[in-house]
Amino acid sequence: MSFTIAQTLDEALAALTAGARPIAGGTDLVVGARQGKAPLPTSLVAIDRLNELALLESTDDGIRVGAGITHARLMNDPMILSDYTALADGAALVGSPSTRNLGTIGGNVMNASPAMDTGAPLMVLGAVVEIQSAQGSRVVELSELWTGPGQTTAAADELCVAIALPPRPAMSGSAYVRLEYRRAMEIAVVGAAASVTLAEDGTISTGSVALSAVAPTIIEVEGASALVAGKTPDDAAAVIGAAASDVAAPISDVRASDGYRRHTVGVMAARAMKAAARRASGEMIGVPVNRAIGVGATL
Amino acid sequence: MPLLAESKVFIRPDGPDKVTGSGRYVADVTLTGMLTAKFLYAGISHARIVRLDVSAARQIPGVFAVLTHEDVPEHRFGSIADRTLFAKDVVRFEGEVVAAVAAVDADTAQRALAAVIVEYEPLPSVTDLEAAITDGSPLVHEGWADYEAADVERNGNVASFTSMTRGDVDAGLADADHVVSSRYVADASHAAPIEPRGVLAQWEGDRVTIWSSTQVPFQARDGVCETLDLPTNRVRIIVPHMGGGFGGKCGFHYEAHIAALAKTARRPVRLVFSREEEFLAPDRRREGMIVEITTGLNNDGTLTARRARVLLDNGAYSADSSFFPHMAAMHALGPYKIVFNDAAASEIYTNHQPSGSVRAPTAPQACWALESHTDELAAVLGMDPVAFRQLNCIDTGETGVAGQVYDEIGLQECIREAVSGIGYDQELDDSEAIGVAVGWWPSFPGASGAYVKIDNDGKGIITTGAQECGTGSVMTLPILAAAELGMEPEDFELVYQDTSAAPYDEGATGSQTILNNGRATVEAAQQIAVQLKNLAAEKLEASPEDIVLMDGQAHVAGSPDSSISIVKLAALAARGEMLLGKGSGTPADYPSAVGVACVGDQGLSGWAGPQFSCHAVKIRLDQETGVVRVLEVSTAHDSGVIINPTGARGQVEGGVMMGIGQALTEGTVYSEEGGQENPTFLDYKLQTMADAPPIKVHFAEIPTPGLGPHGSKPIAEAPNVATAAAISNAITKLIGRPVGQLPMTAERVWGTMAGQDEA
Repeated sequence: MSFTIAQTLDEALAALTAGARPIAGGTDLVVGARQGKAPLPTSLVAIDRLNELALLESTDDGIRVGAGITHARLMNDPMILSDYTALADGAALVGSPSTRNLGTIGGNVMNASPAMDTGAPLMVLGAVVEIQSAQGSRVVELSELWTGPGQTTAAADELCVAIALPPRPAMSGSAYVRLEYRRAMEIAVVGAAASVTLAEDGTISTGSVALSAVAPTIIEVEGASALVAGKTPDDAAAVIGAAASDVAAPISDVRASDGYRRHTVGVMAARAMKAAARRASGEMIGVPVNRAIGVGATL
Repeated sequence: MPLLAESKVFIRPDGPDKVTGSGRYVADVTLTGMLTAKFLYAGISHARIVRLDVSAARQIPGVFAVLTHEDVPEHRFGSIADRTLFAKDVVRFEGEVVAAVAAVDADTAQRALAAVIVEYEPLPSVTDLEAAITDGSPLVHEGWADYEAADVERNGNVASFTSMTRGDVDAGLADADHVVSSRYVADASHAAPIEPRGVLAQWEGDRVTIWSSTQVPFQARDGVCETLDLPTNRVRIIVPHMGGGFGGKCGFHYEAHIAALAKTARRPVRLVFSREEEFLAPDRRREGMIVEITTGLNNDGTLTARRARVLLDNGAYSADSSFFPHMAAMHALGPYKIVFNDAAASEIYTNHQPSGSVRAPTAPQACWALESHTDELAAVLGMDPVAFRQLNCIDTGETGVAGQVYDEIGLQECIREAVSGIGYDQELDDSEAIGVAVGWWPSFPGASGAYVKIDNDGKGIITTGAQECGTGSVMTLPILAAAELGMEPEDFELVYQDTSAAPYDEGATGSQTILNNGRATVEAAQQIAVQLKNLAAEKLEASPEDIVLMDGQAHVAGSPDSSISIVKLAALAARGEMLLGKGSGTPADYPSAVGVACVGDQGLSGWAGPQFSCHAVKIRLDQETGVVRVLEVSTAHDSGVIINPTGARGQVEGGVMMGIGQALTEGTVYSEEGGQENPTFLDYKLQTMADAPPIKVHFAEIPTPGLGPHGSKPIAEAPNVATAAAISNAITKLIGRPVGQLPMTAERVWGTMAGQDEA
């Protein structure tokens, strides 16, 4: 068992090349090991102190969120709250205060759980992932990154260093809602994120929707924009709800049956669409939407 | 006058330790040379052991002991003696202990478990209660007839039963204007204490000291003595702080396993459960249940007759469940005036984890069934369900279902107060509804003892067998002792964790602390009061009968100026006849009742000091998903005079939160073979503080004669009876019919709504 604390990104990447696994908050890795999901890796490199991963900054191409940014930071950051609100919704729903204080966006993305709460928001907001190794760096679309539960196309020596989000057009809004059976320490039974841009007349100009926990990865509702364009938010919500239920390919497990998941993911998608449209029109809805307007257990 | 001034804030003495983290639990106790224990579980629900070989495991360096059934005396134990420490020949549930190891560390212990060779020949699992009692069902205990057990009638997979019949139910049903039948099915659930249990054993010569997170140290000691052939005075059980029990830590669990490991290893050995083990292994689980109730009623709303059939999932062994059929039968009939009633309840052996006492065993499920059925009855007549209960619930001087006539009781006051507290007549949103249910729960008089001493500075120690897993004994017993002696609760500390120091007590079980240990503590304190009065009388030149103990002083009645402080009296006594009191007292009798049962009469007597309750809940339903949220709860309880209002309110709030969990989110999911599918807190969903609604608490403080001190009755389990039922009735108002399955998960609510649409 070896545990090293990287002082620089280069040190961390060198450790990965030598076979170490990265650890930041440890909220998946350590908890998973304790539950017997997978043994703790014999070689770990701590990346939680790397300044290179700790920036949340505005760039010429939108914003760049360092992989080490915590959920607690995301749910409270003014830039995220105003322009990338769905991401704040998702971050605010994760686990408990201590999970959110320790768990990082990079860890959440690379853990690749289909039930992750930041995944659908990132997808509808058009996020790409910056991945780096000692050999160089590359940028990956989310749909190319996630291949299955816990599975990504990243190699063992590659590290997620940041997530880049494009700038938001005027009259845009986004929201993430999930079905939950209680108000804390919960995991998504199903969830849906929506992002919309409104036309002058209040109808929807463009939109996108992504779904949690209804497929082996977070999935996008293909062709969502064409379905909702020109519609009022309520009409768009009805259409997108049906489309979400159609595209869902959920499993049955102790949390829900496939039929119930298929039904409720449509409900969540419709609610996310409406909340996103309200935010796009300038209305302030608190974060997370689940608490503000009442979804599932939070009515 | 209340025992504790309304304005007085008495902080529980163990509170700061627990809140600041300085308190020590079993997992925090470490001894020199201590080894780590781990168990090898069956991992299969029903199978014959065809090979068990631990020789390789014993050869691993760092392994100090590997035990199986061959290494301990052959004894069966349990309320029906059907269980052994280690599985022999057959395993009957997945969490059954097959072997135990003690090793230098957890990894080595784990390697030793992996080196145990065990081969099974699978046997058919018995998991369906109704199939289990049909002819030809596989038997969970093939050799049951040969077990040594007293007076147990053996009948297939029926572990125990109760039948209570009063009058001619068939005639009553035939004469009724309406007959309504209902069927309700409850899943199993768990006590889920936040602290997983721990046991640490150390031998010195032929005496063993065992630190255990048990609610019932004397029962644990008895279990060790019985299974390891030891006398009581060589087994000492010490209980450090406990992180909750809720019944899950009642009974005798792993103290003997760890003592046997420590003896073989010749080292201290400690076991600390993981959360998964806490779910899978102990013989304490709230049983699954099928409840069928048929009631006859007349157009005027009166009840003519009721028949109830209850099947309880006993699981593989009978921990303390043999009195459950009686409890379930009483809850299925309920606190109602019914002319004729007939209830039959049976505990059925299955290859599930054994059932055992979890806070108000059988009550939340059976009450949920009966009270949901009661709203169905009211609906048949178009009567308001509250008015229907006011008409039919028993009141002072009336006769209940067991033929028992009740002294002054507060059930009707409870209904009035709970309903008024929720604002029953308010305008509600379409997605909101209010549901109401009543419940009851008995008191359990029993033996207990306490010592009280006051030392030379006037400070006291109460030494008792009572436990503190949330019972409030650290508050209530000092309040009671202080009241007898004119002192303050803060003047007393409790020594309550040690079977070798304290007299016997049943422990934190059956809500009995205030009733029995309270009685013993009062009696012990009264002996000291006599001593103090005699001493004061001598000093103040008065007669002992005229001495009053108050505000830390002994004074002559009518002459407050003629006084001497208790501190001074204590200093005097310390140099002569010391201030020592011991108490036990005579437990109250159980009233008689109608009926027959297969084991003893523990459960079959009438209910001593029944406690009554009414819970009213306001809920909101998410119509599109079936998710129910409880917005507000209003409770009223008749638990006699309340000794410690802070503790009593805490009991009610905690009981309600457990009830909400049972109602909506807490249920064990089983595989077809009988294994648990959700033994984690991620998928066995307790309610959290974020889910807690405002909870109103009213006490109908009717002094109860001849039971607890100062007219008190217990309170710990009663609040965990009616909440799920009230939530069920609120849901039914919104979706038109009962969900019929417990927990009433979002998906089940949604499914009930969808099914109705089709019909």
